[in-house]
Amino acid sequence: MKLLIVEDNIELSSDLVNFFTGNGFLVEVAYDLKTAQQKIFDYSYDLVILDLGLPDGSGLNLLREAKANKMDMGFLIVTARNAIEDKVTGLELGADDYITKPFHKAELNARVRSILRRKNADGNNLLELGNISINLMSFEVLVNDEPIELTRKEFDLLVYFMYNKNRVLTKESIVEHLWGDHADQSDSFDFIYNHIKNLRKKLQKVDSQGQILSVYGMGYKFTEKK
Amino acid sequence: MKFKAIRLLTKTTFIYLIFISVAFFTTAIFVTRSTNNLLYEDTEVYFKHRERRLVSYIKDRDKDLDKVNGLVRVEGNTSILADNYPQYNDTIMELNQMDGPMLHRGKTILVDTSKGRFLYTMYKNINDFDKFHSVVLHTIVNTFVVLALMLTLFSIFLSGFLFRPFHQLLGLMSRYKIGDNIKLPKVKTSTSEFIKMQMLVQNMICRIEGDYKKLKEYTENMAHEMQTPLAIIRSKTEVFMADEELMNQYASAVKVIYDESTHLSNLGSTLNLLTKIENGEYNRVEDIKTYSIIQKHIETVKEMFDMKHIQLELDFDENHTLSLDPLLFDVMLKNLFKNALRYTPAKHHVRISTSNGNLSISNYGEPLSFDSSKIFNRFIRSQNDTTSLGLGLALVKKICDLNHLNITYDFADHHHTFTITPEES
Repeated sequence: MKLLIVEDNIELSSDLVNFFTGNGFLVEVAYDLKTAQQKIFDYSYDLVILDLGLPDGSGLNLLREAKANKMDMGFLIVTARNAIEDKVTGLELGADDYITKPFHKAELNARVRSILRRKNADGNNLLELGNISINLMSFEVLVNDEPIELTRKEFDLLVYFMYNKNRVLTKESIVEHLWGDHADQSDSFDFIYNHIKNLRKKLQKVDSQGQILSVYGMGYKFTEKK
Repeated sequence: MKFKAIRLLTKTTFIYLIFISVAFFTTAIFVTRSTNNLLYEDTEVYFKHRERRLVSYIKDRDKDLDKVNGLVRVEGNTSILADNYPQYNDTIMELNQMDGPMLHRGKTILVDTSKGRFLYTMYKNINDFDKFHSVVLHTIVNTFVVLALMLTLFSIFLSGFLFRPFHQLLGLMSRYKIGDNIKLPKVKTSTSEFIKMQMLVQNMICRIEGDYKKLKEYTENMAHEMQTPLAIIRSKTEVFMADEELMNQYASAVKVIYDESTHLSNLGSTLNLLTKIENGEYNRVEDIKTYSIIQKHIETVKEMFDMKHIQLELDFDENHTLSLDPLLFDVMLKNLFKNALRYTPAKHHVRISTSNGNLSISNYGEPLSFDSSKIFNRFIRSQNDTTSLGLGLALVKKICDLNHLNITYDFADHHHTFTITPEES
């Protein structure tokens, strides 16, 4: 999978390049609108992670051009928080999703994978780790080929963990993923513990090879049992 | 002391009327005095002439004074009388049958002769003078009444016609909203003051719009530019978090950096939202049916209430509406729910109601640890609350203020209640 990261901040873009390269993507970067325009016309990408505030213009112009030229690459818009107009305009112009800064890389990763999966509808809709298999179309979870019953939140949580296996996920990141804009409703994120506990119990019950580990003071990590 | 507001033209007319009445009153006094003086001088000349003739007549008829018509002898101690004369009196009398009764002025003098003292009274017809006097006074009063009437009518005419451009300008100014970036339509007028005022208003609007644009750009740039460094901080801390060895040593420090960058990000974005609301950027006002939107919010957050074993008591009127931008209603609800969830102790209840045209959210809780009048101020929070931004209720208040909604806070019987009511038009 080939990604183009359009972000003018060198530190952030290099972090993202390292992150996605480490996740098996082929990544290129453009620091301004002009370079990004050249790149999307010269090469083919599966997804463009597009920051809107670029030094030589709005990232929306790139999106407009791509859609006007019927390019079928996916677009994930990165906006400053609360720039609702940008989000609405971006989605109306044909962007696949948006994420607000500052974002959790795990969340970005989940969204990138989700877009790529939707874009390649004829492709694989299965997410697998050890003996766990998730069908993202039918919302079915199999462990050792046996279906297990999960609530919607538990299902979303498991998918999020699977997308970000072996990575520490903070409670904030998990809450934001599950509750979106309502994530900050509560003063404590401890309530996700119930979901973690239930999911953990259900996975253990069927001898799942995936396990949720607690990382003290930070959050949780999903790993494959050795 | 509070003065009642009066229109400028009414005020100037009233003051002008006071000045005119003072001027006319002074003129009336002056004219009265002048005519009286004229009357006095004229009658005095006549009386002096009569007196001289009387004296020479008395000298000629010295021997037979009792037969002189009008002479009255003064008996007794005559020395006392000398100080009281001459005496004047005005009386109506008929000296001539042809003319009928007329006003006369009489002058009684004391005449000393060798045969004793006599009183003599002379009369002069002052009827014409009196008429002249009253005609002048009538003229002054009538002129004043006509002038006052004319002035009042003229003032009404002026306010309706000459001041029309002024009122048009006021109307345009009152309808102007910051951010409209409008050029005011030109008001037709040939009055130089109004032309100048129109220019000044237009210039002022240009300056306001310029400042507003700069402020908007500043807040937007701040929001964007601040989020990128915060994204880098978060990204770097996530790199640390992925390193188990490093985390064994510095977990708490990394967590603090992570939490504080999140707090800063939330603070920046909430302040940015507050500024945008204050600047009137969310002005897509609609009549919102609150029922379905509140239900949707409850569905999303119910789980969080359930986890604290907080019971939700709901009383909805399906026809309840509020007029504001749907996005702002969303922000308002989110913050009110957040407030209720945060400050309701576990195993208690929250009441949400939209009956009687009001939207009210009430939750069980301990009394506030600060003055309740400050509850809608920015950065006000309970003593033990370290995680809240202290901006939620300030946001709600600002949204209410800008959308003609009243929000009240009340604490009674261990219940904190926020009630939102549309302002009476």
